[in-house]
Amino acid sequence: MEALGFHWPSLIAYLLNFTILLIVLTKFAYKPILKILDERSSNIKDSLELADKVREESAQQQAQLDDQLVEARKQGQSIIEDARSAAEKLSDQEREKSKKEAEEFLVKAKNDIERERDSAMDELRSNFGGLAVSAAEQIIQRSLDENTHKDIIDNVLENAFTDKTEES
Amino acid sequence: MSLNKSLVYGFGVALLALFVVGFIVGAIGSKFTDSNPFLKKPEVHLPPQLIYDPFTSDAHGDSHDDHSKESDGHGAHEKDGHHGLPPNHFVITNTLISSWIATLILILVLVLGARGGRSDREPKGFYNIIESIISALYGFAEGVVGDNAKKFFPLFATIFLFVLVNAWLGLIPIYQSLSTFDSEGHITGHFLRPAGTDLNMPLALAIVSFIFVEYWGIKTLGFGYFGKFFRFGALLKGKIFEGIVDFFVGILELLSEFIRLVSFTFRLFGNMTAGEILLLMTSFLIPFAFSLPFYGLELLVGVIQSLIFSALTLVFVTMAIEPHHDEGEDH
Repeated sequence: MEALGFHWPSLIAYLLNFTILLIVLTKFAYKPILKILDERSSNIKDSLELADKVREESAQQQAQLDDQLVEARKQGQSIIEDARSAAEKLSDQEREKSKKEAEEFLVKAKNDIERERDSAMDELRSNFGGLAVSAAEQIIQRSLDENTHKDIIDNVLENAFTDKTEES
Repeated sequence: MSLNKSLVYGFGVALLALFVVGFIVGAIGSKFTDSNPFLKKPEVHLPPQLIYDPFTSDAHGDSHDDHSKESDGHGAHEKDGHHGLPPNHFVITNTLISSWIATLILILVLVLGARGGRSDREPKGFYNIIESIISALYGFAEGVVGDNAKKFFPLFATIFLFVLVNAWLGLIPIYQSLSTFDSEGHITGHFLRPAGTDLNMPLALAIVSFIFVEYWGIKTLGFGYFGKFFRFGALLKGKIFEGIVDFFVGILELLSEFIRLVSFTFRLFGNMTAGEILLLMTSFLIPFAFSLPFYGLELLVGVIQSLIFSALTLVFVTMAIEPHHDEGEDH
């Protein structure tokens, strides 16, 4: 053992040396570092859990949003549908109304024309009555040959015409 | 690209030239040329050298300025330093100084490194290096002993780091060349020598490992821990053959606890010393570039030996705290 270098005071020196190293490193290096590692791993675990939770929540919210979007789209569709049908209805009504108005107008116009014609006929009739009376007067006043007859009638007609034009 | 290539080629050629020159001037080449080798044949002494004896205040190392006095007692000092230390009192040897340096380095690096850490921030810079070393070691310990890692980690890590740093210190260039000379330029002593090459250092570690193994064994299993070694159960039950076999198994277990001390000690001591001798011899035979691969080898040996020492300690501790089969248990 001596030849190999065994020396008990040295052995004790190494034992002391190692013990001191062990204590110092344990207290000032391993413990703080392992504590930090522990804390960090628990931090990471917590954050992972949190991330999971957030992911779940966001998925839920996304689903909700999707639902709402579908709902909104549906609603929009129905609104557009409503509007379109309303507009169609309105335009139908409008068309109906204008048709009716036009018809009414037409009827009124026809009526007007008829009334106009009636009144014109009445006037004509009454004028003809006068004419006939005046022609008869003339006929009675004059001799009844054919030529004078014809003259008289012509005369009456001419008078009547001129009267007519003057009147109108 | 081509510059890099030419650099690599240049480096290779320089290495080759160094190797050739080393071969010619080294111990092998000088046999052919019949000249003195470039380096003297190294003398290997297993005991460490005495540097300072605090009780006789005889400073062997600190004598640069006092060559004449030193050279008088040169032969005696040589004998003293190499073939035995004063047997019964404390002296400072070159290996002890080396172990102090390793201790200081470890304390400075690890303690200062650990100060920079915060758990709520990403690890950065120097602290990051320290933390990754510690966490790698911790991961290893956890892989071996599982949940008990926290309890055994300090011993494991300290043994690993201490052995590793001590082994690698010796590989630093110039480290072991710091020497004292006599007036003729002969080396009379080396200031520093890696502590692993001093038998007392591995022995001290083995003793610490042994003490912790037994301590944890007793602490975990109580008095029943000794049941592993003294197996009288089967004998008392009247089973003669089984009892005798069991008894001898217990004796073997007990012996192996102490044999571990020896195997721990000589494994590390042998490896470290052999590494030193290997480097000396390669440098002696073919100086310069030839010993480079062996430096790489020694780096690896340092890691392996420190890992073996620390991991075996872990394994023994795990074995010690495992509840063993009771003496009275029937199989």
